[in-house]
Amino acid sequence: MTALLEIRGLTIDIARDEGPARVVDGIDLTVMAGESLGIVGESGCGKSLTMLSLVGLLPNRIRATAGSAMFGGKDLLKMTPGALRRVRGSEIGFIFQDPMTSLNPVIRIGDQIAEALIYQKGMTKPQAAIRAVELLALVGIPAPEDRAQAWPHELSGGMRQRVMIAMGLAGHPKLLIADEPTTALDVTIQAQIVDLVRDLKTRLNMSVVWITHDLALIAGLADRIAVLYAGTVVEDAPVAEIFDRPTHPYTRALLDSLPTLAGEAMSRLPSITGTPPEPGRRPPGCPFAPRCPLAQPACSDAVPKLAPVPGSDPRHRVACPIVIERAVA
Amino acid sequence: MTMIDTDDRPSGLWRDAWRRLRRNRLAVAGLFIIFGVVLVAVIGPWLSPYDFLSQNLDVRNQPPSASHWLGTDDLGRDVLARLMFGARTAFLVAIGVTVTAVFIGVSLGAVAGFFGGPFDRFVMWFTDITMSVPQLLLVVVINASLKQPISQWMEARYIETLNPIYRNSTLIDFVLVFGSMALISWPAYARLVRAQVLSVRNRPYVTAARALGLTNRIILTRYVLPNAMGPLIVAVSAGLGTAMVLESAFSFLGVGVTPPTPSWGNMISDGLRVWTNYPHLLVAPAAVLAVVTVAFNFLGDGLNDALNPKGQK
Repeated sequence: MTALLEIRGLTIDIARDEGPARVVDGIDLTVMAGESLGIVGESGCGKSLTMLSLVGLLPNRIRATAGSAMFGGKDLLKMTPGALRRVRGSEIGFIFQDPMTSLNPVIRIGDQIAEALIYQKGMTKPQAAIRAVELLALVGIPAPEDRAQAWPHELSGGMRQRVMIAMGLAGHPKLLIADEPTTALDVTIQAQIVDLVRDLKTRLNMSVVWITHDLALIAGLADRIAVLYAGTVVEDAPVAEIFDRPTHPYTRALLDSLPTLAGEAMSRLPSITGTPPEPGRRPPGCPFAPRCPLAQPACSDAVPKLAPVPGSDPRHRVACPIVIERAVA
Repeated sequence: MTMIDTDDRPSGLWRDAWRRLRRNRLAVAGLFIIFGVVLVAVIGPWLSPYDFLSQNLDVRNQPPSASHWLGTDDLGRDVLARLMFGARTAFLVAIGVTVTAVFIGVSLGAVAGFFGGPFDRFVMWFTDITMSVPQLLLVVVINASLKQPISQWMEARYIETLNPIYRNSTLIDFVLVFGSMALISWPAYARLVRAQVLSVRNRPYVTAARALGLTNRIILTRYVLPNAMGPLIVAVSAGLGTAMVLESAFSFLGVGVTPPTPSWGNMISDGLRVWTNYPHLLVAPAAVLAVVTVAFNFLGDGLNDALNPKGQK
């Protein structure tokens, strides 16, 4: 497998009056061709910003200040806005969190999909209209010809998210980034959307990056999972390794806080004490140290680097010298 | 009305707004009055047996009668015929001024709000300056300083080319009145549209459109502006009424439409001089102006409620 996207040392800062605040601190991530990567982390850990920075969609005052992101031989972070615009949609597709507000309320569904095809791929209007109906059929919308004529408010949340996926796929991208696409949906609909994306990924031979805070949800979707904490990758491993041998204290705590069917009835789920650091108030050294059950004084000396975990899958890497020592011992 | 109902592409938003508007009696009344006055403005001169310009010195200052329903003025001209032609002036000015002002205001406000940065600061600085100059003063200065040179230039062009278009003094009037009134009206629209664009440009569907790789031009015209239109429609409806009042005020002060072209403002101005003897010469144009202005405001209020249903108590 070849790497489709290689992010190295990505750093993102928010410009504030009292000085910049770091929200993403030297992230390394690789997405292989045809692979699906799950990015897991709490709200505000920088998982969405990391992906938005790739295609130049960061909000005002937030900037990628260091690092590189090689995609198809070019560094996305060094591209001009015009060149990035052409990457968006046609090479990297996006699906967003809230399908209820992510569609323009004054344009019909079919026209909205066709719009992307006309301006991005230079199709004629009739060609784009036909392709839009095909895309609606592809994402499993019944009676696609009729639905193409519908207004966004006439569709349910699940249907709208399917339309968003159709729009994300319109340009036939090599990489589809799904930013918590099921958070706003019912549980049954969530499962349908996950199945749909997994199916489309194989059929269209794309890579998928699925951003979520729901570990259980991507267990059945991702090939590999990267766990983010306070703007750094703390553990990066194949999906089975994460669930069978969670190594980083944060990953373990995350998994412990998931309810299981085997668990004791009526017992309280464990939660992680404390809160993640605010941007600009990062502790020195390991950002998780203040909440970590294994923390030692040395943890605050240096930010730990990702390193392979001895005795497990070579792709399993963790940013915690303490657990690595234990694994060796 | 049926035209909108059977439109084969009615957007849900607009259809709902139209239904709410229809339930508002005052707004519907306003709509009917405006529609009636527009009709009169278009076909009025063919309805009246009298010409609005022809004088008949035998029947000066007549009170309302069977032959002259609203009487005659000091030159024996039929007041009703002049009022009906005045409707034409009023609507021409109101539409001309509003369209020009909205065009300038929407273009500047939308681009400023969408892109921000130095251009935004420049536009806002420019609107602040325009709004800080007393409106009346600006219009008086423009008319007083430009009318003379423009008429002279037109006269010179006429002698040169013998093209009758340069003989048309009404044209200068309209251009000057439109221009100067548009110049004082655009900043309000620019601010309104800028504020709307600022709020719409961060909505998720705009980010989604960016993620699709659409160009800024498409995003602004197809995604941002159509969703920023609601308050503008309300402002335009009220603005049409305001423009009519403004035109009347300026004609009243002698810087608007020049006689003998009838405008409600110069009719009020003429009537005011003789109102103790011939009150109908003041009452007729003043009443019409008042009714039409109120109609526009009712419609504006109705549109406001129809387009912002959440704002209702």
